[in-house]
Amino acid sequence: MALLEIRNLHVNVEGAEILKGLDLTIEEGRVHAIMGPNGGGKSTLAKALVGDEAYEITEGEVLFKGQDLLEMDPEVRAREGVFLGFQYPVEIPGVSNTYFLKAAVNAMRKHRGEGEIDAMEFLELVKERAKRVKLDETLLQRPVNEGFSGGEKKRNEIFHMSVLEPQLGILDETDSGLDIDALRTVSEGVNAMRAEDRSFLVITHYQRLLDYIVPDVVHVLMDGRIVKTGGKELAKELESKGYEGFDEAAA
Amino acid sequence: MEAVVQPKSVYLEEFEGRTDTGPEWLDTLHERGIRAFEARGFPGAREEAWRKTNLRPVTAEHFPLADSQGAAPKELVERLGDLGDSYRLVFVDGRLAADLSDLADLAKGLTVTPFTEYDGNPPERLVAALGTRADIDWHPFAALNSAFFVDGAYIHVARGAMIEKPIAVTHIVTAEADRRAVYPRLVVEAEDGAEVRVVERFIGDDQAGALVCPVSELSAGQNTILDYSRLQEDGVATMNIGTVNLAAQRDASLRGAFVGDGGRLARLDLIADLEGEGGEIDCNGIYLTEGRQFTDFHTWFNHRVENCFSRQRFKGILQGRSETVFDGLVKVFEGAQKTDAVQENRNLVLGKRALAHSNPRLEIFADDVKCTHGSTVGELDEEALFYLRTRGISAEGAQGMLTLAFAGEIVDMFRVSGVRDHVRRVLMRRLGVEDADIGEIL
Repeated sequence: MALLEIRNLHVNVEGAEILKGLDLTIEEGRVHAIMGPNGGGKSTLAKALVGDEAYEITEGEVLFKGQDLLEMDPEVRAREGVFLGFQYPVEIPGVSNTYFLKAAVNAMRKHRGEGEIDAMEFLELVKERAKRVKLDETLLQRPVNEGFSGGEKKRNEIFHMSVLEPQLGILDETDSGLDIDALRTVSEGVNAMRAEDRSFLVITHYQRLLDYIVPDVVHVLMDGRIVKTGGKELAKELESKGYEGFDEAAA
Repeated sequence: MEAVVQPKSVYLEEFEGRTDTGPEWLDTLHERGIRAFEARGFPGAREEAWRKTNLRPVTAEHFPLADSQGAAPKELVERLGDLGDSYRLVFVDGRLAADLSDLADLAKGLTVTPFTEYDGNPPERLVAALGTRADIDWHPFAALNSAFFVDGAYIHVARGAMIEKPIAVTHIVTAEADRRAVYPRLVVEAEDGAEVRVVERFIGDDQAGALVCPVSELSAGQNTILDYSRLQEDGVATMNIGTVNLAAQRDASLRGAFVGDGGRLARLDLIADLEGEGGEIDCNGIYLTEGRQFTDFHTWFNHRVENCFSRQRFKGILQGRSETVFDGLVKVFEGAQKTDAVQENRNLVLGKRALAHSNPRLEIFADDVKCTHGSTVGELDEEALFYLRTRGISAEGAQGMLTLAFAGEIVDMFRVSGVRDHVRRVLMRRLGVEDADIGEIL
């Protein structure tokens, strides 16, 4: 059974159809990359998968571990193991990063029928994972994303992911705004999480990130549909040729 | 000019017919109070400062003085322990409840005494202080209080005395005070170089449709630290309309912690006077309303001299169909140069039909001053709610988390730990997030 199965997904945003019948299957343990021009529907796919109400599903279905994902509330999707690293992480004034993560971890443990995490155990986990993505420890006590630089926000997303340990990590343009150092760190954070039962959907506009997070499968998303699927070499091809040639393929 | 026969108010009639007057030495103030009330009357519908406060439930009927002391039910008495370790002075329906009070082992330099204890022989300084701050010609409810109060609390801190343990003055209103008036009165004087923490709290029976009109006068001498917390947590049927005067002398630091979450109608006029250079008055407040509650904070901050600092930070959390007013004045008098005044009012409207008014006012008659103010009325950030949910937090938990974070900024400023902990518990309960598994956010 595939981890994620998207069939004929149609999504409207403010009345306009953005995804127009998207099909995508992700097996366990695989890294898929979605590339494509701006406006093609990449971020719409990400937001629809985590249940943003602004994204209206008009047709199609999404199965996660065989269950109907679209029927679940956003928090249930998260507890089942879907994580989205936001393109624009949100600032949460007054809520410390650590406190917030602990509440999230405990919500997930409760969902699995486990007790609350031990305070010491949690602290160690958080410190170890912060180190992994070279997140400055002072950011742990600060309100979530508040006053973080662009790079710190992206690191913080990967940090959240590494603490929450989802089964499907969706990264929406995580590379944008990162310098090469940060890009490397973030990628290492992701690579360290690669596992047989964990998959990633890496959404990016540029091939650059895929030098560090090497995908098993690359898709080209244009005008609301996957127009081409290939191996990691497809990313290189896109980098040199651009997206122009694929317009016709989509037509 | 034609002579007009002024009909007597029901309050003057009550005054003339009353037998229950409290200690005799209060007579002069009582007289002044009723005369002031009679001259001024209740605010008219067009009085700017009272325009948004619907006084009809107050003026439509006569609330005679609660003339006996009801028995405080067990659940109210139990709440006396909410604030942790403190000296305790308790009034029930406006009268001293000695059995509920605990003034054992008062620290050296500290006086905490009910007015009635002074019988014929009050200290001169109390007589001098009582009624000097509250402006009864201006505030009709302060006038009513001055006409009718029969007891009160006097707190005096001697020069240089450092009092660590808070003094809690609690006013309990019982069901027997339904349709009656209660007039709590507090005088606090901290002499030069003293330090003290005073908590004034209003709680009561939900059946008590009483009119409570408190008047509190606090004065901080030179180089003192005076911390005042006012917790208005009356029963749901009660109306609480009162005044607080804070006055700071040279280099005094006066801090206020205000909580408004009780009563059907509540209004506080908070008058802060900076009277000595280097003085500061820092007030943080939070109001939490639900159902059809109405809560009104009117502040009047007067920078009368140079080089003073004042800060007002009030936040409202509105549920249900409640309505709130924050109307805050910063007035910088001529010559009060180098004034530094901050005013902030933020409102979080959770109830779809709730209504928050926010009205900052600045009157500045000096040219070298720094005055900032901010005012917002908003809802919870949808993006933030969604972001929290995508990390596994329930919708209810996310809402609670964001609301508590909003309130936390104020609650963290409360300096008396017993008050801080109590307010946190109240918030958790009122927001219904005790079981939302969001842990200890505050």
